[in-house]
Amino acid sequence: MERADNIMGGRIFSSLVPGVLGILGAIIANFPVSILGGLVPPPLLAFMPLYFWAMVRPDLMTPFWAFVLGILQDLLTGGPPGVWAAAFLAAYFLIDRQRDILASLSGIGAIAGFAVAALTACVTASLIVGLYYWHMPPVAAMLVQFAMTVLFYIPGVVLLGIVHRRLVGPYRSDF
Amino acid sequence: MANGTFKIARNKGTGQLPIALLTALAIALILIGKAQSTLFDQTRASVTDWAAPALQVVRAPLVGLDRWMGSIGEIFSVYRENLRLKDENARLRQWRNAAIVLDNRVKRYQLLLRAVPDPQLSSVMARVIGRSNQPFLQTMILDAGKTQGIKPGQAVIDARGMIGRIFLTGHHTSWVILLTDLNSRIPVRIEPGNAQAIMAGDNTDAPLLDLLSQRVVLKPGAQVVSSGDGGLLPPGLAIGTVVSNPAGGYRVVLLADSASSEDVNVVDFKLKTEQPPTTTPNDLPATAAGLPPAAPPAPVTAPVVNATPAPATPAPQPLVKPPATQQPPASPPENGNE
Repeated sequence: MERADNIMGGRIFSSLVPGVLGILGAIIANFPVSILGGLVPPPLLAFMPLYFWAMVRPDLMTPFWAFVLGILQDLLTGGPPGVWAAAFLAAYFLIDRQRDILASLSGIGAIAGFAVAALTACVTASLIVGLYYWHMPPVAAMLVQFAMTVLFYIPGVVLLGIVHRRLVGPYRSDF
Repeated sequence: MANGTFKIARNKGTGQLPIALLTALAIALILIGKAQSTLFDQTRASVTDWAAPALQVVRAPLVGLDRWMGSIGEIFSVYRENLRLKDENARLRQWRNAAIVLDNRVKRYQLLLRAVPDPQLSSVMARVIGRSNQPFLQTMILDAGKTQGIKPGQAVIDARGMIGRIFLTGHHTSWVILLTDLNSRIPVRIEPGNAQAIMAGDNTDAPLLDLLSQRVVLKPGAQVVSSGDGGLLPPGLAIGTVVSNPAGGYRVVLLADSASSEDVNVVDFKLKTEQPPTTTPNDLPATAAGLPPAAPPAPVTAPVVNATPAPATPAPQPLVKPPATQQPPASPPENGNE
């Protein structure tokens, strides 16, 4: 009985890890203090767990989580509500449709796969903001944020892999 | 790092319907946010108020690190920079003396002309506790809020010039929308020439200048100050200088550097609205001059047939009528000059 409770508690914990890491990523990325003095936009840290677990464990990173992380990103950046939520959902749609291809990539290919998804999110957000203000935002800032996100994903995916194996992986059941 | 090492859980929690529904919800939020821009503001203000102590604690060592990193490159140019600053200081002293003389002269003229004095400005000094440099938004967070009398719309300046304006206030914190932000649009005046324009941020370092008159030709180096139109910002706040835009038009190089500002002033500018005096019958021009009020126009009873018809009704009384008490006509004094 006790063992069953432990297993149940463990499953709940492991199912929360991707979402909690996404929330943590949004908070850290949008903390209004920059080591580089605000020279470059912060990376989309919330998008990394979203991409990673939407690819390998879509049962844990559902579209609902993509929406929640996007809303949190909107709230913390100070921008209009719904922009990043829609952008993350657009990227999620791409991941959902191309999951097999993206999951089969490795090395540079895996980074390239993430870059395509991140670019989808960034371009979608830019287009929505352009329509929202009826004035296209500068492309350079968006590209810098995209580049920062891809750059940070290289160490980030190693960390996410470790977290997955240690905290989420052991409780996978339906493979 | 290889994604291929992870297996995929299939057909769990996926499906196009939730994505479509949530996307529709996100679009609805965008539209609601467009209609009511303060949708998230209260939450944002509360979150910032709550996180303000943590921001101050975390910011202190990072600011030190930032300064240290920034000063590494400056070590090699200290001597040259010192000479340049001495030269600049000497020139600024001369300008300061000229400014004092001119300021006194302006005050004297205002006194002679009985001119309406400039409105008094009060300000609150605040410290920058956070900066956000997003691709679509450039903001700054201050450690002063409603309790210090900060209100949305107030101008934020540093020692060099205007930085932005307050757009959201919490109890102890407030958010500043920078002049470079995509949403920033303020009325400005370009001197000399007094040309009016709207300065619009586009998330670049130099905001665009949208001239109200297409005939105006500006010279690079002209000064840009706030015009005060709309009564929200005080007129005459220094903003920047005009430069030509390679893509056409003009841009403004800002005097203030929002990236390095630590202490700023939030200017409270409240232009008192002048109430018009209540009008009485005695205030009408005719009655004020001692004349009876004009008679109402007679109703038209018949269509006009002839070019010079005889009046069907008695002619209205002339508007100008001798006053009841005749005043002797003014005449030059006769005593003493004969």
